Amino acid sequence: MFQSDPMPPPAEQTARAADPHGGAQRPVVLELRNLSCAYGADRPAIADISFSAQEGEIVCLLGPSGCGKTTTLRAVAGFEPVTKGEIRLEGRLVSAPGHLVPTEQRRIGMVFQEYALFPHLRVRDNIAFGLRHLSSDERASKVRLMLEMVGLTALAARYPHELSGGQQQRVALARALVQKPAVLLLDEPFSNLDPDMAGKMREDLHDLLRRTKTTAILVTHDHDEAFAMADRIAVLNNGRLEQLDTPEAIYHTPSTPFVADFVGQADFIPGTIENGTVQTEIGLFPNQAGYPSDAQVVVMIRPDDIHIVPVERSFAHIVGRRFHGSENLYTVGLPSGRVVHSSEPSTTVYPVGTPVELQVNATHTVLFDQRLGP
Amino acid sequence: MNQAASLKPSLPDSLSLVALTVAGLLCLPLAYVAHMALSADAAIWSRLWTTRIPELLFNTTALALSVAAGTLVLGVSLAWLVARREFPGRRVWEWALVLPLAMPTYVLAYIYSHLLGAGGPVESAWQILVGPDGRLPSPHSYAGATLVMTLDTFPFVYLLARAAFLNLNVSYEEVARACGVSRAGTLLRITLPLMRPAIVAGLSLVVLYVVSDFGAVSLLRYQTLTYAVYQQITGRYDPTAASILSLLLVVVALVFLVAERWFRQRSRFFQTTGRYRTPGRRQCGPLGATLATVYTTGVFAASFGVPAFMLATWSFSAVSSGALDARFVGFIWNSVSLSGVAATCAVLIGLPLAYLASRRPTRLNLLCLQAAYAGYVLPGPVAALALLAIVSHLAPFWYGTAAVLVIAYVVHFLPAGLQSMEPALQQVTPNLEEASRSLGFGTAATLRRVTLPLVRGGFVAAWVLMFLQSMKELPATLLLRPVGFDTLAVRVWLEASEEYYQLAAPAALLIVIMTIPAILLLLSKDWRAA
Repeated sequence: MFQSDPMPPPAEQTARAADPHGGAQRPVVLELRNLSCAYGADRPAIADISFSAQEGEIVCLLGPSGCGKTTTLRAVAGFEPVTKGEIRLEGRLVSAPGHLVPTEQRRIGMVFQEYALFPHLRVRDNIAFGLRHLSSDERASKVRLMLEMVGLTALAARYPHELSGGQQQRVALARALVQKPAVLLLDEPFSNLDPDMAGKMREDLHDLLRRTKTTAILVTHDHDEAFAMADRIAVLNNGRLEQLDTPEAIYHTPSTPFVADFVGQADFIPGTIENGTVQTEIGLFPNQAGYPSDAQVVVMIRPDDIHIVPVERSFAHIVGRRFHGSENLYTVGLPSGRVVHSSEPSTTVYPVGTPVELQVNATHTVLFDQRLGP
Repeated sequence: MNQAASLKPSLPDSLSLVALTVAGLLCLPLAYVAHMALSADAAIWSRLWTTRIPELLFNTTALALSVAAGTLVLGVSLAWLVARREFPGRRVWEWALVLPLAMPTYVLAYIYSHLLGAGGPVESAWQILVGPDGRLPSPHSYAGATLVMTLDTFPFVYLLARAAFLNLNVSYEEVARACGVSRAGTLLRITLPLMRPAIVAGLSLVVLYVVSDFGAVSLLRYQTLTYAVYQQITGRYDPTAASILSLLLVVVALVFLVAERWFRQRSRFFQTTGRYRTPGRRQCGPLGATLATVYTTGVFAASFGVPAFMLATWSFSAVSSGALDARFVGFIWNSVSLSGVAATCAVLIGLPLAYLASRRPTRLNLLCLQAAYAGYVLPGPVAALALLAIVSHLAPFWYGTAAVLVIAYVVHFLPAGLQSMEPALQQVTPNLEEASRSLGFGTAATLRRVTLPLVRGGFVAAWVLMFLQSMKELPATLLLRPVGFDTLAVRVWLEASEEYYQLAAPAALLIVIMTIPAILLLLSKDWRAA
């Protein structure tokens, strides 16, 4: 969709180039320190949120609705005052208690969930909206470049209501990017698109952000979207930051049961520490976290780490199968009444009731204190 | 549709027949005036064209445009203040600014001709300041009419603009801010352009109101088309000239209506879609709060507070000198009975039209409904003229009876009632009626047991609206009333014309007081939605 490329070729090709743990440190563009916002005196929306984004990095704020991710985004934009902590943009203090630099002076770009294209302006005037300070020639050439970049040159004279959802989103993106914002804020940008379109737009957006080396904060409740887009993911729950890490780490080594459960299918098997290992009804697991003897823990296992093999007799039986196209997700009943899930290849079909042996890839399991939940 | 008709052939057909007849009768006055005007002698046309018409057209449009400009400024700025700013008393002002709608134009006009007139309180105050020779421009002028009409009609713009401010998707404004545009720039470049349809709708109400107003311009002696039509009928009894001026008036009103329709059609895409966040109110600082309070208080005082106070004091002294006699009670009875009969007739007449248009929207039925809206472009004096002519030709024995007056009210105010009856019927899904039919009830029983109970709210609102407008109606009542049959509105106008301000006050106050709860009632529905 983004055919032509008027920008210089991308400097780096690796998708995860902005991994903060490797390579040269690039300047920090956005920094949140111990940020809290509240709707009322006793209604905190977010509390004690800290993270930063380096130049060119894509950070996803992930969480269920009401977790405070949109509030965080709006605080960065300057729409929500902060009650504690501070926000720095390009090193400048923009938000602190009693201090609020107006949105228009922050050099941010924003793409709303419903795009908020100005319905009384044509596509090109929407994109040129924030370029008043430029001469009309400069303005026109910037708009032209931007239209080429998002592949909408032919639709420049249309009104927003004459565009499809995907096209509207690209206009909203172009309108934000043409400002060369220090940081681009995206609020659930794909939620108004049908799933096929969303997948395609995701790739295009990722590509565009990389090419323009745009620092972006993206809010989403969809972990697949976060995995596909983010260099790092911040998982929020009840207004608090649960974990900030790379997508891989979020998935494989979640720091709380909430994160484990939210970012993908997970089973939690209770167990006890005995003789330095975790005893559970499906076998022994290593005590990686070093819990003391007799501690009550839960083992988090993902379906792709459990492989099932049909056997003559077993304590575990298949109780259900859901076909997902690329995989079969089996539900396996255990003697305690608990179930675990196993992801098997699309072509592997066993009837319900089959006794199975569980082969667990124990290196990927994660232990939590039982008192934490899930 | 056809199946429904074939199931119960007799009733729907008779209903259609009734609707067709009613629509024809409702259109008759307009058609008659047009016929009279167009069949008039060319000499009369050319005489009027060289003498009265240019001046009257100019006066009417000048007044309409200046009032539109005034209400635009007042209405939008006040709406912005109460919708986007927080200051002490904001909630009270938000409601209070609607109250001028309860003040008929002739009441406000007569109060202002006292306040601003020679020797009035404002001139006295001015003379204390600048000396005994200080003079103020007379309220009996273009400026006076503009002031009175602006103060009386700005709530139309205020209400619609307020709803638009509250319903605007605030994301548009936030995006504009994110694009680096300041608060003021956002207001000018995004918010106001997006509100254009609402503002235009408000202004078109104002313009229609001004063009067809008789009360204020007659008391302020400002020559507009409406006033001239009245004078042609009463002063010289020249129905032909009156019909020509009437036709002109109808055309002017139609031009504004069509222009508004056209604009609304063109700006359909202004509808905001998707989820939206309601815009918040920003707290005013001490200076801002003071300014906001001074401004809202000033507008409220000028448009309602001071006039209501004057009415109350005058009424008090009039009552203590014995104005509330049996005659006065008779005026009340005349007003109430006449308006009650008219509103009831209008609801009964409007029902088949609205019902057929929403349940069987054939071309003919929709046309019947449209025909009922003809009264919209039929200002009071024009309706009166048409009925006078029709009655004297076709039914002279009806001449000078209250029945003619009731017909005039129905023709004139049915459009306003239909606007509340039609949506009420539209909101009742036909499935409910079909369910009732499937349970064994016929059309009539279904109407009585299902449809009418569900639309009662909308119909009561329509009745109240038409009742009040009939109560306030002035020019048609003046022209058509039976000899010695005065209503409250007529008394106000007659006394005020003679500058008996105190004698006019009790009737005026009564009209205002009766109108207030109804206005609040009718608004409360829209209010919550906004």
